[in-house]
Amino acid sequence: MNPRLVTFPMIALLTLAAAGSARAHHGAAVYDTAKTVTVKGTVTDFQFTNPHVLIYIDSKDESGNVQKWQGELTSPNHLARAGWTKSTVKVGDQVTLTGNPSKSGATNLWLRKVAGPNGDIATGGGEN
Amino acid sequence: MLNRLAVLVLFLLLSALVIPAHLLAQSNEKPAAAKPQGTEINPHDLSGVWNLHMPQTARRYIGNTFSADEPSLTPWAEEKYKATKPSNGPRTHSLQETDDPVLKSCLPPGVPRIYLQPFPVQIVQTPKEVVMLFEYDHIVRHIFVDGRQHPADVTPTYMGHSIGHWDADTLVVDTAGFNDKTWLDRTGHPHSEELRVVERFRRTAADAMQVDITMEDAKALAKPWTSQLVFQLRPQWDIMEQVCTDNENFLGFEK
Repeated sequence: MNPRLVTFPMIALLTLAAAGSARAHHGAAVYDTAKTVTVKGTVTDFQFTNPHVLIYIDSKDESGNVQKWQGELTSPNHLARAGWTKSTVKVGDQVTLTGNPSKSGATNLWLRKVAGPNGDIATGGGEN
Repeated sequence: MLNRLAVLVLFLLLSALVIPAHLLAQSNEKPAAAKPQGTEINPHDLSGVWNLHMPQTARRYIGNTFSADEPSLTPWAEEKYKATKPSNGPRTHSLQETDDPVLKSCLPPGVPRIYLQPFPVQIVQTPKEVVMLFEYDHIVRHIFVDGRQHPADVTPTYMGHSIGHWDADTLVVDTAGFNDKTWLDRTGHPHSEELRVVERFRRTAADAMQVDITMEDAKALAKPWTSQLVFQLRPQWDIMEQVCTDNENFLGFEK
C-alpha cells in the first residue's frame, strides 16, 4: 500500500458542479458523454501541466494483455486550488480511472474520478 | 393616600427621565457591536481576485454563452454563425476540425467572451486605470478612467479600447475598437468591427460583484444582447500561469 495515495485530496465539487459541464467542455465531440468506463492500472506518466492534466496507465485485461489508457482532467490551476500538486500522482501508483470514453474507440478517457487503491477519491474532469 | 399617589407619580416621572438617560449612557459607553470583518464595502474598490460564480439557473448556458435564449442576429451574422465550427456547445466539432480562433490559434478571446474562459481574474486599480489581469492566457485589459475618450481613428484590436467612469457606485465601462477576429461567445456567434460593449460593474457584497453587459453591433445584432455575470471574491487565490499555446501534447492526445 502506498501511504501517499491515502492523501489524494478531494477536489472541491465545484469542478463538477458547473451544471452542463459536458457542454462546457471543448472537444466534447470526441467523447461519448452518455457512457462511463472504469479502468484499473499502473501509472506510467502523470503530466501536471496546462491545458489539461494527463494520466497515463498500463491496464491488464483478463488475459494478462496490457492495454495503454490515457485520461485527461481539467487545468492544473483548478486542481492546484483543490490541493493537487505535480506529485499527487506518481509513476507506479495503482489507480482506478473512471470517465467518458472516446467515440473512436481509442483508449482515451475524459476523467470523472481518479481513485487510489484504498478507494480514496479525487473527482476531476469538469469544464474547460 | 395623596402622599402615596404623589410618591407614585413622582416615581413614575423620575423613572421616565432616568431610564432613557441610562440607555443613553449605555449607548455611549458600549458602542454597537463591530460588524464582522469583511462586511464593510467600499463600492469603488473592485480590487482582488474574482471568479465567476453564477446562480444555478445560469449554469446550463454560462459555460458556452451569455443567455439561455439565442441572441437576435442579423441575416449577415446568421450566415456567418451557421458556417462556424465551434467545439463548445451543441454543434460541437473536434479540436482538429474546429475553427474557433481561441482553440485553433490561441488568439485573444475578445470582450465579453474572455469572461467565459473558466479561470479567475485579478482587478488592480490605479488612479489612471482599472487593470484586469485574466488568468486565462495572461490576457490583460486596461480600462482607462482618466477621462479620455476613444481615439478618433482607433486601431482595431482583439480586446478593444476601454474607457470607464463611476456613476455613483457603478463603474461603467465602454469598449469599442474591436477587430472582427473574435467570437462573441464559445458557440460561434459572430460580431463586426462595429461591436460596442458596455459593462456595469457593481460590488453587491463584501465578496460579490455583479457585471451587467450589453453588446450592440448594428451589423451583427438585430437587438442588443444583454447578460448578467456574478463574481465571487477569492481572497486566498493568486493568479497562476496559463499558456494557451502550450497545447501540442493535448492536441495530439485527443484523437
